[in-house]
Amino acid sequence: MSRIINVAKMQMINRWTFLGIPLVILVGSTVMTLAIWALLPASARDGELYSGSGQAIMWYFLALGIQSLTYTFPFSQAMSVSRRTFYLGTLGLFAALALGYSILYYLLGLLETATGGWGFNGQIFALGWIAENNAAIQILFYFVAMVLLFMIGFWSATVYMRWKATGLLIAGICFAVLVLGLLALVGLNDAWAQVGSWFATMKVPGLALVMGVIGVALAGGSYLTLRRANA
Amino acid sequence: MNETPAPAIEARNLRKSYRELDALDNVSLRLESGRIYGLLGRNGAGKTTLMSILTGQGLPSSGEALIFGRNPYENDETLAKICFIRESQKYPEDFNARQAFAAAALFFGNWDQDLADRLIQDFALPMKRRIKKLSRGQLSAVGVIIGMAARAEVTFFDEPYLGLDAVARQIFYDRLLEDFAEHPRTIVLSSHLIDEIANLLEHVVVIDKGRILLNEDAESLRGSAVAVTGSREKVDAFINGHQVLHRDTMGSLASVTIRARLGDTERAMAAELGLELSVVPLQQLVVRTTMAGTHNLDNTEFLEVLK
Repeated sequence: MSRIINVAKMQMINRWTFLGIPLVILVGSTVMTLAIWALLPASARDGELYSGSGQAIMWYFLALGIQSLTYTFPFSQAMSVSRRTFYLGTLGLFAALALGYSILYYLLGLLETATGGWGFNGQIFALGWIAENNAAIQILFYFVAMVLLFMIGFWSATVYMRWKATGLLIAGICFAVLVLGLLALVGLNDAWAQVGSWFATMKVPGLALVMGVIGVALAGGSYLTLRRANA
Repeated sequence: MNETPAPAIEARNLRKSYRELDALDNVSLRLESGRIYGLLGRNGAGKTTLMSILTGQGLPSSGEALIFGRNPYENDETLAKICFIRESQKYPEDFNARQAFAAAALFFGNWDQDLADRLIQDFALPMKRRIKKLSRGQLSAVGVIIGMAARAEVTFFDEPYLGLDAVARQIFYDRLLEDFAEHPRTIVLSSHLIDEIANLLEHVVVIDKGRILLNEDAESLRGSAVAVTGSREKVDAFINGHQVLHRDTMGSLASVTIRARLGDTERAMAAELGLELSVVPLQQLVVRTTMAGTHNLDNTEFLEVLK
């Protein structure tokens, strides 16, 4: 157990990468959005304003997933850490970080609502369709989204480490075939209307569940891939 | 029930096959604890492959690697006793040397910060520069410092002197011996430069093309051969009956390396004949012995590379 915690500590030795940069992204993207809103002519500011800039940190988790494996896994091998311990420590740390950022998102959403959308009637963090849910579901949704992006990066990097470009290529082709297969299945059964209404009724908890399942599958796949990978 | 304790390092029929070649071909070894070993061989002989399998970092195609009788692969308890920094070790992006040492202090229970600090000074290692911006020699120094200050029970150094200047190399050898005297442990130095580390070694393992060619005590190896120099006929008469490892002739002079332990009478006889007897340097010995043992090697090439 202590070695697992030490892996988390090792990942955190360079705090800038995991805490500094995301906060800069968060503050930077928010300030930019507000500046853009301020520059809009009054006519365009009528009604609600939306921005996707709140997602910026979530996407950074994709990069974190790649970095934490590519750079730190070979070093952890030199530190005589087993693959399993590296995996548990790294995923544990990033899950905790994702939870922290999810709570921050939620709090920023509350602040946003309280300030009348930062004075612009705008939505960056408290996007209507998410913010209408209770606190737990909102936080869960952000958390699952970040973990999913992290796992996509982490698993891709693991595949690359183990099988290089060929592996990544095959994984990409398999993914494309899978998506095409699903689309074909829906199309051949004339089921687009059903699928559409399914998505419409799913809402945030359902979406979180679907992303969660994919995330867990990727986490399992990452472990199996990493177990026999050579740094 | 009188079992002998498990050796520090053991390889049982290790084989590692890639598509086109066998990086390791049925390697078996038993290295007892508390000694300094040299793992010698040409570039691409399989040294790094062997060490990465022995430390659980790599996986064999077949066979077993054991550290104190346990397979280190995915075994944290056994891994905690091992330190192996690769010659081409990767460090986390943006890490500087201080951060790498801070990480090592987390994982190696015997980590000695004072020793690390002293070595940092000795090697004049810049601590705030990112590791990826360090020179080859400074990069080697980072690995050497981790390997030494970790004081792991089983420590592997992979070509540790690469890029280090003569002074830094001497510092490494001196500090290693000093520290080994106070804290005996099992140390494996991999190298393709033999003479440079010859004085450190208590036992020599030579690997080539994935096979162990020589596995012998350095002391007995040193005394196992002698070079006889003098006029050709007298040399030939003297060495009659001994295994010849190498022969150089120049005009009427000959210098022949034979496998023999000479007694006092033989030495007196050589003096009588006006023959010069000289100790064969470990590097020469290893080269000669391995060449005599394998005929499929290109001798001169092997010699060149080992130099």
